[in-house]
Amino acid sequence: MSVITKPLRRETEHLYLPIPCKIVSVRDLTPMEKLFRIQMPDGQELGHKPGQFIQLSILGYGEAPISVASSPTRRGYFELGVRNAGTLTGALHHLSEGDEVGIRGPFGTFFDVEKLAGKDLLLISGGCGLAPMRSLIQYCQDRPEEFGKITILYGAKTPSERLFKEDLVDWARSPAFACKYAVDCVPGDGCFDEGEIGLITVLIPPLKIDVQKTIAVIVGPPVMYKFVIAELKKKGMTEEQIIVSLERYMKCGVGKCGHCAIEHLYCCLDGPVFWLNQISGLRGAI
Amino acid sequence: MKRATTEQLRTFFASLQTEFDVYVPVKLHDGTRVLGSLSEGPLALEGGKIPQKPTSVFFPQFDKVFVVDEQSKFQMAGPVAKPIMVVGFTAQDLDCLEFIDKFFSENYRDDIYFNKRDGSVVVGVSGRCGKDGEFMKIAGGKCDIELIYDGERFVVQAYTDKGRQLSERLVAPDSEAPAGLMDALSRESDALPTDDEDTIDKASDLIRAGKVPEDFWDDIASRCIACTSCNLACPTCTCFEVYDRKQNGKMVRQRIWDSCQLDGFMREASGHNPSGRQMQRTHRRIHHKLAADVERWGHKTCMVCGRCDDVCPTEIGMKSVCKMIVERFS
Amino acid sequence: MRRTLTTCPYCGTGCQFYLVTNGEGKLVGVEPSSNHVVSKGQLCVKGWNAFNFANHPDRLTVPLVRKNGNLVEASWDEALDLIATRLKEVQDAHGNDSVAFFSSAKTTNEENYVMMKLARAVFKTNNVDHCARLCHSSTVAGLAATFGSGAMTNSISCVEKADCILVTGSNTTEQHPLIGTRIINAVKGGAKLIVADNRKIRLANFADMHIRWENGTDVAFLNGLMHVIIKEGLADEEFIRTRTEGFDKLKEVVEEFTPERTAEICKITPVEVEKAARMFAGAERAMIIYSMGITQHTHGVDNVKSCANLAMLTGNVGKEGTGVNPLRGQNNVQGACDLGALPNVYSGYQKVTDDGVRAKFEKAWGVQDLPGNVGLTVTTAINAAADGTLKALYVMGENPMMSDPDQHHVRDALEKLDFLVVQDIFPTPTTKLADVVLPAACFAEKDGTFTSTERRVQRVRKACDPPGQARQDWEILADLARRMGYDGLTYSSPKEIMDEITRVTPIYGGMQYDRIDQVGLQWPCPNRDHPGTPVLHVGKFARGLGLFSPAEYRPSAELPDDEYPFVLSTGRCYFHFHTGTMTRRSRLLDREERFPYVEVHPDDAKRLNIHDRFPVMVSTRRGEVKALARVSDIVIPGHLFMTFHFEEGAANVLTNNALDPVAKIPEYKVCAAQIRGV
Repeated sequence: MSVITKPLRRETEHLYLPIPCKIVSVRDLTPMEKLFRIQMPDGQELGHKPGQFIQLSILGYGEAPISVASSPTRRGYFELGVRNAGTLTGALHHLSEGDEVGIRGPFGTFFDVEKLAGKDLLLISGGCGLAPMRSLIQYCQDRPEEFGKITILYGAKTPSERLFKEDLVDWARSPAFACKYAVDCVPGDGCFDEGEIGLITVLIPPLKIDVQKTIAVIVGPPVMYKFVIAELKKKGMTEEQIIVSLERYMKCGVGKCGHCAIEHLYCCLDGPVFWLNQISGLRGAI
Repeated sequence: MKRATTEQLRTFFASLQTEFDVYVPVKLHDGTRVLGSLSEGPLALEGGKIPQKPTSVFFPQFDKVFVVDEQSKFQMAGPVAKPIMVVGFTAQDLDCLEFIDKFFSENYRDDIYFNKRDGSVVVGVSGRCGKDGEFMKIAGGKCDIELIYDGERFVVQAYTDKGRQLSERLVAPDSEAPAGLMDALSRESDALPTDDEDTIDKASDLIRAGKVPEDFWDDIASRCIACTSCNLACPTCTCFEVYDRKQNGKMVRQRIWDSCQLDGFMREASGHNPSGRQMQRTHRRIHHKLAADVERWGHKTCMVCGRCDDVCPTEIGMKSVCKMIVERFS
Repeated sequence: MRRTLTTCPYCGTGCQFYLVTNGEGKLVGVEPSSNHVVSKGQLCVKGWNAFNFANHPDRLTVPLVRKNGNLVEASWDEALDLIATRLKEVQDAHGNDSVAFFSSAKTTNEENYVMMKLARAVFKTNNVDHCARLCHSSTVAGLAATFGSGAMTNSISCVEKADCILVTGSNTTEQHPLIGTRIINAVKGGAKLIVADNRKIRLANFADMHIRWENGTDVAFLNGLMHVIIKEGLADEEFIRTRTEGFDKLKEVVEEFTPERTAEICKITPVEVEKAARMFAGAERAMIIYSMGITQHTHGVDNVKSCANLAMLTGNVGKEGTGVNPLRGQNNVQGACDLGALPNVYSGYQKVTDDGVRAKFEKAWGVQDLPGNVGLTVTTAINAAADGTLKALYVMGENPMMSDPDQHHVRDALEKLDFLVVQDIFPTPTTKLADVVLPAACFAEKDGTFTSTERRVQRVRKACDPPGQARQDWEILADLARRMGYDGLTYSSPKEIMDEITRVTPIYGGMQYDRIDQVGLQWPCPNRDHPGTPVLHVGKFARGLGLFSPAEYRPSAELPDDEYPFVLSTGRCYFHFHTGTMTRRSRLLDREERFPYVEVHPDDAKRLNIHDRFPVMVSTRRGEVKALARVSDIVIPGHLFMTFHFEEGAANVLTNNALDPVAKIPEYKVCAAQIRGV
């Protein structure tokens, strides 16, 4: 598999030129998802903020947007949690430690931790949505003093399809977080004792939240948003208090290729992280 | 102000070929007019807008993003060796160019576009040389030189320093425009009907006011065969697809014009597709130019050039659709 | 930058466009021709992307020869000498007819002519055919019998002049997009449209009547229409009297097809039959447009004849805005037929069984003993290979492994051959089985002509060089002929081939390159002064009087039963072309449809617990194929539809190799199938 081998300067004038980066470790998250830990050349930091994405290249296979799954507070590397779903991600899943990939970015809007400072956070993710959310959770883990009460809700289809299983256990044990987990179903004779069985929305009604002080962040598969938002609104939360991160097909990451447009907004420039009131009236947004 | 005949202009453009990569309207084999080099056919300044979008000179259907050679070395294209000179932009086309210049430079600068665009010379064509003798609106700016046809010769109007320097080199003896000619031409230009523009303005207002119901878009969409011609002919359409291909041991990342009328345009690897229905794509095609871009850029991005109407095989180009909107929902 | 005017390599509509070539000699785009009579500055999505596959790295660039079981690179000399030697050995051992040639509807007229001349003049066999066998052989047979000429009677421009259009078995907006859009525009302009097709195709949205009959009941339906037309006195009696023969026999046959009986067979209502009959017969100018839905049946010829009967009965032949209009699927399937890549005729449909014709070609080609027996068809050749009577096969630009019915049967047949040569632009499932693979130039890399569905002969021009050592098909064939010791196939250019064609082919007599330089001409065009023929059979049929050829309804060969309860029909989608060799290597087209799929009605899906976009297994008595379910009411309950573009989900594993007795066309449109979730 051809990968980028020549180091290139980061401060290039070429918008579409990827920087070669080394994969330092690969770990299975589920049968479908792997976690790639990547280092920038010459000890540089990626310089991202929680919630941003990068454009990942494998030569011959193309380029795709991938959310960063680690917090910038974890220095010396960044991580990508990737499902094997398409051509590029399929090729990525064949790479291993020591291989190189191309990186452009970081791009896009982020979870604005300054605006979240002092607030109670309700971090709700489903399925693969935990990967981008993890960048924020890790940030909160490293800087708990910046926020109020932090609640993590996570739902997946089955126990084995949950991402970051060790992290989930860790976070559940951590005094910094209140964690509630759910799975849609438990196949066969398996069991699930870490939370509820049901859709993620079952976790919301029992929550005790201080409506005035809370900000909810939602990242998950497309079908999830509408139902979670409805539950949050029942709790009295408004669109100004809800943040969503969206996923779109993208080719450039920089507002040129046009694929990720949501009416007048570009998911790559104006997103992927939006305040709900920015996008709630837009066709095809949620 | 000079006036020049087609032949004098041809000689002038030919003389610039050593300094510029010169694109002019030429008539091809079967009479089709395109922007090409003088060697491809006779100069064809008359006949109205070029069917192909003139912005394609800077943003072509196919372009290389970068090449990685056998030694894994990256080759990025730099600025073009010879600057580009392109003749044949109409007033509407110049509005389009102005917009895509802004589009490609704002937020992140698309160096592939500006490799061609920077240093280029843009020449407009207007006056009494439209299709079937129609008068073409005078741009009055937004280009380096404008050639305004008075029925016999082209008045050479330079708007920039570069344009003035170049036009000084045009040889056209005893050709000074008589007093009052430009005023007369300008009056003629100002008197052009603006029915199409008005229709599109009205349609834009109706769409933005939420007056166009969903079933209208369904109806229009049923006639769309997803030929993608509307997008590929539109000078303000900038969407592209990127893909990698190996060629002779090299790996070439390339981009080609894409179309929001295709189901795969927004389809994600998971199969989820925010524009998975034809109606959503048809809506986007019109809404994007007349409403979304008004939000984003402060103006419509349909400059009423009419190309999508010309190439649409089922008569649902921008003007046709807007006409229906105004007729039905005003 | 350079622009070259050429003809689209996909469907038979015959759009022209300019290919754009950059300074490196690579194709970088397409620009429509504003002045072309058909495309008028417009193109469909395949046309816009027609430049994109030529540079694909998968292109065949070097001859390959099988050694120790593997295909390895070889020189042209080695490959062609081997072919010459082996074909000669096979013929010496097993007779001339132990070798067959598959010509190609993708290659030019000149190349088809050279192929059929090579088969006949050099190898002395009429075993030459091409994929028209699989699409419109029923048309050629059916219309030749009734009208005397097996081609679209009218021009594409006639669509907008019709008052009523009957579209049957043609998904026109997807398969012939720019013709489909003319139909939409005609309807917007006031024409009536009857869509007789059980799939809810786009045209159905515009139809005055959408008749969703049971697949394979075409003859019954058309007979039912004719019954009503005769009974209600709507027939054009003057036309019948002055222009046709055999009416009494037709009347007798359709007598039994009352609206009630017709409705029962077709599973529609008697009212639909009556209403459609009145709508069609009541129009001043009524036109029939059909395609594979009519032809690809074991009763394909009967279907075609019934269409012709209906047109004659209502006087809708020989004038603008009318006619029987089979839409040819491939860019040059019309031309490949015209140029005699058929086992029974030379170029211009001159019969091989006619002594005078053979004598003429013997003289023209400087050979003796041209064979007078009708040769094998594509379908019967595969059967002959399977039973061991055919020993060697030379395939040019075809992919029978993907395109022919019952893939397992085709594989067995091809594996049984002593020697298989495949000449193509990309590796295909068929090249994998070949003993020699020859790299050919694609449409953008050669000169020549294609003939569109409206019989328009148009220029194809070279816009770039072929990759590697690939050569134009005619050059390869001519080189082989020389190695066989025949020098009558030596040409300096395709123009010289066309000059020869014009001398021996009356319908192409006036098709010299200088005459078709900008706008192509429609055959028949017998001489340099002839303006071409936009409408056939004006005043007189090609055979003199039009012959009513009534047909009885015969059910399809394999009907659904308890074990295989669904009717499976196959066809194409808009974004891919045939076996996908080119479109699946064109970025945007490939992105649109990436996986094999099967359309299934929501009611059936619900009953069988099948979910949209989830994998299913479709099986028939021939085999099984995995595809993604597309749950949609485009099909009627009990019916499935699959496309045959996908190697990894090949619909032709499933199809039935049952043939029409006359045309030998396989029944791609009906077989019994089963579907289940996986």
